[in-house]
Amino acid sequence: MFSRVSVFLPLRPLSRLPLSSGSSEVSAAAIVLPAAPHGTVRTKNIQRYFGTNSVVYSKKDEQSVPAGESSRETSESQDGVKENTKKDLLDIIKDMKVELSTVNVQTTKPPNRRPLKSLEATIGRLRRATEDTPMKRNEPLSPELVAAASAVADSLPFDKKTTKSIFSFSNIISDMKVARSAARVSARPMHQFQFDEGFDNSFDQEETANLRKSLRKNIFKGKRLNIFDIKAVTEEVPETETSPSLWDVEFAKQLATVSEQPFQNGFEEMIQWTKEGKLWEFPINNEA
Amino acid sequence: MAGAMSLCWLRVRSGLCLPLTVRRASSCERAPSCRFYSGSTTLPKVNGTDKTGIEEIVIPRKKTWDKVAVLQALASTVNRDTTAAPYAFQDDPYLIPTSSMESRLFLLAKKSGENAAKFVINSHPKYFQKDIAEPHIPCLMPESFEPQIEDVSEAALKERIKLKKVKASVDMFDQLSQAGTTVSLETTNSLLDLLCYCGDQEPPADYQFQQTEQSEELEEATEENSKKSRTKAGHQFRVTWRANNNAERIFALIPEKNAHSYCTMIRGMVKHRAHVQALNLYTELLNSRLRADVYTFNALIEAKASMRNEKFEVKWNNILELLKEMVAQKVKPNLQTFNTILKCLRRFSVPARLPALQTLREMKAVGIEPSLATYHHIIQLFYQHEGLSKASSLIIYDIMNELVGKKFSPRDPDDGIFFQSAMKVCSSLRDLELAYQVHGLLNTGDNRKLLGPDYQRNFYYSKFFSVLCLMEQIDVTLKWYKDLIPSVFFPHSQTLIDLLRALDVANRLEVIPQIWKDSKEYGHTFRSELREEILMLMARDKHPPELQVAFADCAADIKCTYESQDDRHTAPDWPANPLSCIAVLFLRAGRTQEA
Repeated sequence: MFSRVSVFLPLRPLSRLPLSSGSSEVSAAAIVLPAAPHGTVRTKNIQRYFGTNSVVYSKKDEQSVPAGESSRETSESQDGVKENTKKDLLDIIKDMKVELSTVNVQTTKPPNRRPLKSLEATIGRLRRATEDTPMKRNEPLSPELVAAASAVADSLPFDKKTTKSIFSFSNIISDMKVARSAARVSARPMHQFQFDEGFDNSFDQEETANLRKSLRKNIFKGKRLNIFDIKAVTEEVPETETSPSLWDVEFAKQLATVSEQPFQNGFEEMIQWTKEGKLWEFPINNEA
Repeated sequence: MAGAMSLCWLRVRSGLCLPLTVRRASSCERAPSCRFYSGSTTLPKVNGTDKTGIEEIVIPRKKTWDKVAVLQALASTVNRDTTAAPYAFQDDPYLIPTSSMESRLFLLAKKSGENAAKFVINSHPKYFQKDIAEPHIPCLMPESFEPQIEDVSEAALKERIKLKKVKASVDMFDQLSQAGTTVSLETTNSLLDLLCYCGDQEPPADYQFQQTEQSEELEEATEENSKKSRTKAGHQFRVTWRANNNAERIFALIPEKNAHSYCTMIRGMVKHRAHVQALNLYTELLNSRLRADVYTFNALIEAKASMRNEKFEVKWNNILELLKEMVAQKVKPNLQTFNTILKCLRRFSVPARLPALQTLREMKAVGIEPSLATYHHIIQLFYQHEGLSKASSLIIYDIMNELVGKKFSPRDPDDGIFFQSAMKVCSSLRDLELAYQVHGLLNTGDNRKLLGPDYQRNFYYSKFFSVLCLMEQIDVTLKWYKDLIPSVFFPHSQTLIDLLRALDVANRLEVIPQIWKDSKEYGHTFRSELREEILMLMARDKHPPELQVAFADCAADIKCTYESQDDRHTAPDWPANPLSCIAVLFLRAGRTQEA
């Protein structure tokens, strides 16, 4: 069987960042943190690396190697793994209207995370992909995510504690994003509350299968524009009957051409002719 | 008559109050609209609950069938013949197309013949007056395109508007206003409709030759016919709204404009890319305290989104404001509203993702079922820069899960592009299961009709086939190959190269001579990449002797094509690679002389 072409890019770690040895495996499961093209990120025992590659979704059975976020590419989006939490968070976010400049990363940082301290120093200098939007996570991750994260962490040959801490970096991601945007506020307009959905965080294939199940219907759940009032729209307003104007007629004609196909068999041709009036209608009505 | 007999049979069966098993015959087709089911849906109790023992005879209500119901039932029983050319072509060996260019040419020729005949009938109606069809077939009789009423009156104006003669109607209107007669608002509005829709130019039509300088020469006209059908699409795009054209002039002349006048002007302006003026007119409309209708709002959304040099948030906020004004004016949004929003969001790929999804949810909440065009816009939004970044989105899976098993009818002009873009995403994601899902969706119900014109169909199938070549096992791929080609589409040389590579991987190189024969048939004889690929694959490894013979024959054939190509082009420069491959193959087959 032809092996599936993997769609991932090789990692391109930043030269200035010290890559930990097991970075490739770690990244397989972990959420990738954004890259810092300029910052000198010193992480002590962080198993994470900062890459400038974009994340890809690979269907390989072996651990997919995710790349870091591309700092310049456009289509990044958070995965629907965090969809559930995201929905709640969006509500909060919309209410809070956090100003970028006033984001305080400290307040959202989970306690007792030693590696975080190093990150904080670098948060301000992180650059990330332009269109990514920050999101503040004040709520704990969904248990599903935590379970998935632990499962993956267990599969990695690392110190569990650190790897687990890595997974809680999803909290940090939002912080970093927020902070990063603070740094970039001059360059970017505020994209506070938009986030990209569907971003694949390079989980393993089994997890993506699980994720996909949980993602079902997620495109229809979530915030809506809340502009139209449902009741007002669905009530049947008796409208004055006007004869179709030229615009309507032409629109109907345009629609009809969308579904035009050449005939597939003689019966379809006969159906068309019957509709045009060229063919007798069957069964023939002899009394009319 | 078979049809009548079947109908009697149907009545008999329904007399037994059986459920409508005939439905199976017209199984997957949509039910004709006028079909009524039997009034009595339950069987009369036969357990003897009637005390007198006499069974109630329940006479079912008479069913009425649509006039095409029988034909549709018959049509649903016919499957596609994979070995035959599509039905649209004449079944003559000379007239069966062997490449996509030819198939397009033949179809156009057929259509232009019909148009030419219509043109002849319409330009000389006096020869075609004898009507022998019983009952009368109106569409075969000559139509008249010249206005009959010659005097200056409102009825004449209406007639000209109906015939879509722009210049004549404007002249008539001017004459009327000069003569002092007031034209009713309704007529003026319909005149404005015509002007705005056509952008103050004569509308192009299939065989209307009135706008060209009267072409008395029929021969010339029939040639123009085929050209017109191709340039018609292009013609529309180049029409732009000139300032102070007739529409604006007439609009200014109307003493009391009602909402319809404003609306149609705005729609015309947006259609012909005069966005700023459209927005100005909209403010005028608001100042006059008139209500705009939903189509106008759709046009305004498009106008706001086409303003240049604005950031995304500003545009998005503008659009949201428009929507709020819609609510304030109590205008109900329709499907086109949301589709227009999504289409405008497509220009910004990443920041527009959340708004796009919010729009989708809003649409659902309001109760409007998203159409295929909606999903197409969303797919385009999320997968736009597939080449640039590899971060893919899972949203296509969500969408496909949502769409499984649904039947669609065209509700938006962009519906036809959905399958093409979905399959493009499948091929870039290289996901075979998804491709099968999309194909399955295509085959449910009548969705096949939404595949669009020729080139879209070809694109869809070539992408589908390339995913198959990459991902599927070779036997299944070969089965699809036989199934799809040539009855559905003609492969590009790239498709054949993909297939060859798949064969190579699966070690089924013995099929190569067959592929070469097929490619000759489809007109790829002189494509050098294809030939080089074939030769290289054949010459690469040693093969069992009988295969070598076959390969050598094939190589000889290819050599002939090179030679005949040299006859045509004056530069006989055989590329080195194929030459060596051919030599190697001949040697292996023992045909040392030819080598």
